[in-house]
Amino acid sequence: MAKPPLRSSVTFLIILGVLFLGMQFLRPELTNPPVKADLQAPPEVKQILRNSCYNCHSNETRLPWYDKVVPAYWIVTSDVTTARQHLNFSELGSLPPAAQKAKLYEAVNQIQLGAMPLPAYTKVHPEATVTEAQLKVLRDYLAPASLTTPAETATANEQYGKWLPNGTNLTQTHLSPNGVPFLPDYKNWKAISSTDRFDNHTMREILGNDIAIKAIAENHINPWPDGTVLAKVTWFQQPDDKGFVHAGAFQQVELMERDSRKYAATGNWGYGRWRGTELKPYGNDAKFDAECVGCHTPVKKNDYVYTMPIAGQGKGQSQ
Amino acid sequence: MSLMNKSKRSRTNRAALLSAVFTLLLAGCASDVNPRVATRPNNDAALTGDLPVNPLQWKVITSAIDKQNSTMYTLFGNDVAVQYARTHAQHDYPAGSTLSLVTWSQQEDPRWFGGNIPSAPKSVEFVAVALGPDKKPTYVYQEFEGSPLKKTSSQESTAPDGRSAYLVNQRAAVMP
Ligand code: HEC
Repeated sequence: MAKPPLRSSVTFLIILGVLFLGMQFLRPELTNPPVKADLQAPPEVKQILRNSCYNCHSNETRLPWYDKVVPAYWIVTSDVTTARQHLNFSELGSLPPAAQKAKLYEAVNQIQLGAMPLPAYTKVHPEATVTEAQLKVLRDYLAPASLTTPAETATANEQYGKWLPNGTNLTQTHLSPNGVPFLPDYKNWKAISSTDRFDNHTMREILGNDIAIKAIAENHINPWPDGTVLAKVTWFQQPDDKGFVHAGAFQQVELMERDSRKYAATGNWGYGRWRGTELKPYGNDAKFDAECVGCHTPVKKNDYVYTMPIAGQGKGQSQ
Repeated sequence: MSLMNKSKRSRTNRAALLSAVFTLLLAGCASDVNPRVATRPNNDAALTGDLPVNPLQWKVITSAIDKQNSTMYTLFGNDVAVQYARTHAQHDYPAGSTLSLVTWSQQEDPRWFGGNIPSAPKSVEFVAVALGPDKKPTYVYQEFEGSPLKKTSSQESTAPDGRSAYLVNQRAAVMP
């Protein structure tokens, strides 16, 4: 005894409607905890962040009605929870001013690279998009790079004195907590770029192993071949009395090792960081590298690599 | 794209408009790599010209930044020079050592606001240490400038002076 088709589709719609209404009661809790220490920044800067970021990255989430309807509500709730774990403007105010600014540099970069606000979010909330003019306000606030504070020359000198006699013979084999090995030969690799990081008063040389150099020479850098290892060596900026800033105390060396099988879970790259001349592996557990991946995700389409290698590698003889 | 007069808008026009919008959407999806992220080498900073050797093939000894002039340099060395620099606080490089100091003007890192990276090279300097006939070291200094890089200076001395002294007196950056 088949039912007439019209009646069955009406029944179907009713069932859907009831389900939809019922779903509305499945609401994960999304509360706004008290704001203890809001970010310290000029009003014009905060205004932009409030408008574009605070719905996800603060304890002052204000959802429009259409975000309160399930299933949109489920997506937004999960975004807000994750977003707050990564960056919560309502908690930044307790950090030292330099650390607050460091967070803002990261914020500007996420915006510039088109990673934030989440593109899926701005499609539905175009008013949250950061305009060029707003981006300029944020950049101008950070731009007058505070002059390099004289680093402790004594520290740099002491470090140099201890390193010199036995430096290059050191055979450290410390593993990063996620299993990425330290490669002591990094210091003999070729330079592919350098950076003057006025945001945090450091300077870096970016070095590449032979596979990396060959990949650059052949212009195969997206994706980079497996076996590529890039090293970033960081020193504190050490000003002299002639207006020059030299590589001062060694801060850390970071490696990115490409292996699409071993490191599939972290975008085909293994990340490691070793701090100080004792090369202490960074990170408390194997999952520490979520921080690395988070920061590199805006350049995912460039195989997660920020560095633009200097062209002309492999040209000219070496002796 | 000019907007059409509403009264004149025919069905065909509407279809054309729709397909235009559709194409735009597709194009938007296909080319959604932010230009800052798009893969490219740093061509500005390439060392072009007639250098005797490419110092980028050597190893890093140290680096520095000239904040006032917005330039940055890296001091490279061949194997003999690097081996010496990383184990000696003195500056008496053995014969066979060659140092090269490459100075670039700076540009903002398009991928990291807060960082500057090399732009066009300004100069490449070399100091080669050789043994003279009297078994005393000689220092051969050469400078290349401009784009493409061309030799602008060449001097020989029995003791490092001026720029050659500047290169020779740099201390190796700590690399444990
Ligand atoms: C719709 C919610 C949403 C909005 C709006 C939003 N974000 Fe995010 N943000 C996230 C989520 C979720 C993450 C966690 C990382 C991920 O999933 O990509 C995140 C991560 C970040 C991170 C940390 C990245 C890392 O290192 O892990 C920064 C910085 C950031 N957002 C900045 C901003 C800024 C600046 C704005 C405003 C211009 C903004 N976000 C707007 C959801 C949002």
